[in-house]
Amino acid sequence: MEGNGAAQVKVDELIVERLDQSGPAGRATDLVLASLLGDDDLFVVLSGTTPSGDRSPQCAQSAEVPLAGLYLRSIEVEGFRGIGPKATLRLQPGPGLTVVAGRNGSGKSSLAEAAELALTDDNKRWSGRTQVWRDGWRNLHTTGESRVGLELTADGRAGLVRVTREWPEGASLDGAESLVQLPAAPRRALSTMDWSAPLEVFRPFLSYSELGALVSGRPSDMYDALQAILGLDQLVGAEKRLTDARKRLDEPSKQADKQLPGLRTRLEEHPDSRASTALDAVRRRPWNLDVIEMLAVGGAIADDAVANRLTQVGAIDLPSVDDIAAATERLRAADQRVTSMAGTPAEDARRIASLLTMALAHQAGHPGQTCPVCRGRVLDDQWAYSAHAEIEQLNKAAGEAGAAHKELAAATQAVRELVGGAPAVLGQDLGDKVDGAAVREAWQAWANLAGSGSAGQLIASAQDRFSALVASVGELQKQAVAVLKQRSEAWQPVAAALASWAEIARSSERAAADLADVRKAIDWLRKAGQEIRDDRMAQLTETSAQVWGMLRQESNVELGPIKLAGASTQRHVSVDVTVDGVAGAALSVMSQGELHALGLALFLPRATSPDSPFRFIVIDDPVQSMDPAKVEGLARLLAWIGKDRQVVVFTHDDRLPEAIRRLQLPATIWEVTRREGSVVELTKNEDPVSRYIDDARALARTTELPEDARAVVVAGFCRSALEAACHEAIRARRLKAGVRHSDVERELTAAQKLRQLLALSLLDDAARGGDVVPALRQRYGQAAVKAFNAAREGTHERYQGDLRHFVEDTVHLANALRA
Amino acid sequence: MTADELLAESDRLLSTVVPGTRGRWPRACAWLTRLALEQALDEYWFRVLPEAVNCGVRPQLLILPQYASPSTTALATEAWFGLARATHHHAYDLAPTAAELRRWHDLVRTVVAQLTAAGQKVDVAAE
Repeated sequence: MEGNGAAQVKVDELIVERLDQSGPAGRATDLVLASLLGDDDLFVVLSGTTPSGDRSPQCAQSAEVPLAGLYLRSIEVEGFRGIGPKATLRLQPGPGLTVVAGRNGSGKSSLAEAAELALTDDNKRWSGRTQVWRDGWRNLHTTGESRVGLELTADGRAGLVRVTREWPEGASLDGAESLVQLPAAPRRALSTMDWSAPLEVFRPFLSYSELGALVSGRPSDMYDALQAILGLDQLVGAEKRLTDARKRLDEPSKQADKQLPGLRTRLEEHPDSRASTALDAVRRRPWNLDVIEMLAVGGAIADDAVANRLTQVGAIDLPSVDDIAAATERLRAADQRVTSMAGTPAEDARRIASLLTMALAHQAGHPGQTCPVCRGRVLDDQWAYSAHAEIEQLNKAAGEAGAAHKELAAATQAVRELVGGAPAVLGQDLGDKVDGAAVREAWQAWANLAGSGSAGQLIASAQDRFSALVASVGELQKQAVAVLKQRSEAWQPVAAALASWAEIARSSERAAADLADVRKAIDWLRKAGQEIRDDRMAQLTETSAQVWGMLRQESNVELGPIKLAGASTQRHVSVDVTVDGVAGAALSVMSQGELHALGLALFLPRATSPDSPFRFIVIDDPVQSMDPAKVEGLARLLAWIGKDRQVVVFTHDDRLPEAIRRLQLPATIWEVTRREGSVVELTKNEDPVSRYIDDARALARTTELPEDARAVVVAGFCRSALEAACHEAIRARRLKAGVRHSDVERELTAAQKLRQLLALSLLDDAARGGDVVPALRQRYGQAAVKAFNAAREGTHERYQGDLRHFVEDTVHLANALRA
Repeated sequence: MTADELLAESDRLLSTVVPGTRGRWPRACAWLTRLALEQALDEYWFRVLPEAVNCGVRPQLLILPQYASPSTTALATEAWFGLARATHHHAYDLAPTAAELRRWHDLVRTVVAQLTAAGQKVDVAAE
């Protein structure tokens, strides 16, 4: 089946072509191109840097030419599921149809599953199975190791490809690895073959439940499965890369938005004035991230007056207690020296000199007047001359006392200037917890003393007042530091939050430009992708329509175009179904059998895609819930696919083999039977008549059974052979006359006895059982009558004649009936 | 062959690999089991109601509750319908499974044992 087209033009080439014609503007075109190449290339375009690591994808792969044109040659299973001792299904490694029929529980599905398990070697696929399945995979009737072995042939290779999976005794389902051995090569792990992708995409193993799940499962699963066969992997990959990039680029902005309300609340609740500053910075976009970043590192803000004042308080620097002690001591020493000189000649001389100096000053202003002190002599120039001389004389004598007085004045001044004025900050608002009043009082007390106190007062009180001042300043500073520390501690976590948020907000700022370009690229690629999808789907629809045309038979459902629709979580497959010419019907109008047929119509094309390395397809029970008419269509379809593919079909009853035989389609049919102890046997299954005849002949010859038993069983097989011959003749005649399958089946089921069946077959009337013997005699002779009677009676009473003659008479009659 | 002998043969086909029966043992086994049931019924009627011997299995099963216990009849009926279907050709039916055959075999063995015992009781009572 080549309906899916030969080699398809690669999707990347189609996209590049469209980019040349009508690509998006600017960097978006580069982004689309890069998304086709891979994650690394996309990274390069987005960041402008070179990614690390080796970018040549070829170097990792071996130089080995991949295997293609694979056919199955045998499936050998031992100790797995329903199969105990080793059972082997041999297949013609080439195109053709093989049907394996077996009752449920005969082990046929075990063959299919074992083959799939060995080849897929993918635990994921099996881990979805029920616990019962996973625990019960090992056959109960065998101990020791379990084993699955496949033989395959590959185009252009001599020899066989062998795939094996062996479980040691006691191992779990996962406790084994599939191995592969190519011709003239050592065994190695199957995982080295890179088959998992083609197995997933082309699914050469298709089971009934999977067909059902594909059609009635989640719409997105069907979409994905179909998309994979359309060869759209590159498109999907590119879309995914761009979408991932968009998500990644959008992530910081989303995060920043998401965290912002919480951050705002926190800032609103925070007492620190920095909080309201920060709040202002993020109240609306664009955010003032510079401010946030500064606050985040705990930076003080100029307008935070209280904090500034508290810092100033902390910076108040007073002289040390030692300094004040030294100054006071100096004052005390100077004062003592002055006191100790009282009454000494030097002191007297100093005092008289001081008096004369004052008199001279008076005389200079009032020359020639009488002395204001004694009212005696006139103070004239002569007096002044002699007074000058006397002062000079007296000062010489008073020198020591003068120095002492000078020192006293200097020491007093030193104490007064030791402490400066009270800093202005003490009078300002220092917040709720800090009050400068006490310090201001202490400072005032000091200033009062220092400003007008005598030396004696200073000596007496300066040290105490100073100590009081130091103590109160120290107390105030302690308070200020505590408040500052508390504020800083309360701010720390907010600062950290601001820092991390600012980082996210910054990266979202940086990503904004990239994001816009990536969005543009995504929009463009989505539109281009939809066109490509529709185009590809149209090709698939053609094949599906062919398949459906073969399968639909009596169905009134017509299959129209199939489309891949929607995107991301909304993606689904839209199938245009027409019922009795009315369009727009949903899939729900279809019966279970029709849905499965649809599943086959949709998914057979992918298993038979020319791109698949597997030339075989294994279908497990596609016949369930199909009516006989569809089985006929299925038989034709499978034979058609079998023209250039190896088709292996497992089925639970004889409907498909019957249709194949009746339509004379080329096929090999096997029947699986399972004895007690899980002994599974495979026998070639011919048409039922030949089969019964064969059985009868074989048993007539065997000496293994006692004579009595043998006779009964041979008669039974002969009777079944005649019944089957009647069925075949009646069915062929009725269907040829255009009678519906279901009506034929009803008629055959009603005629239960051999006599009725012969009446229907010979006289076209099941009720004319009494005319059967004459009719037989007339048409086919006495031997036919003998065979009929023997077949009827021999199952109850032992046939007395020669069993071999009996069988041959039966053969003649059966062939005559079918002719 | 007696019913017991037939049952032994059918059991042999079911539980061991008998040469020459590859793939055809299920239907052969069904035939032998079916014959064992017919045989047991015939022997029983021969002792209890000789007129019933030649009237076919279905009528025999219909009148059986009048003579034997209802439970025996139920077992015999189930086995009979299964075996009759397996030993006629039916379109699209594959051969019966080992599990089905084992079930019918067990049913028939029980029926044979019960009918043999019942028949002898009647004999004793008649004398």
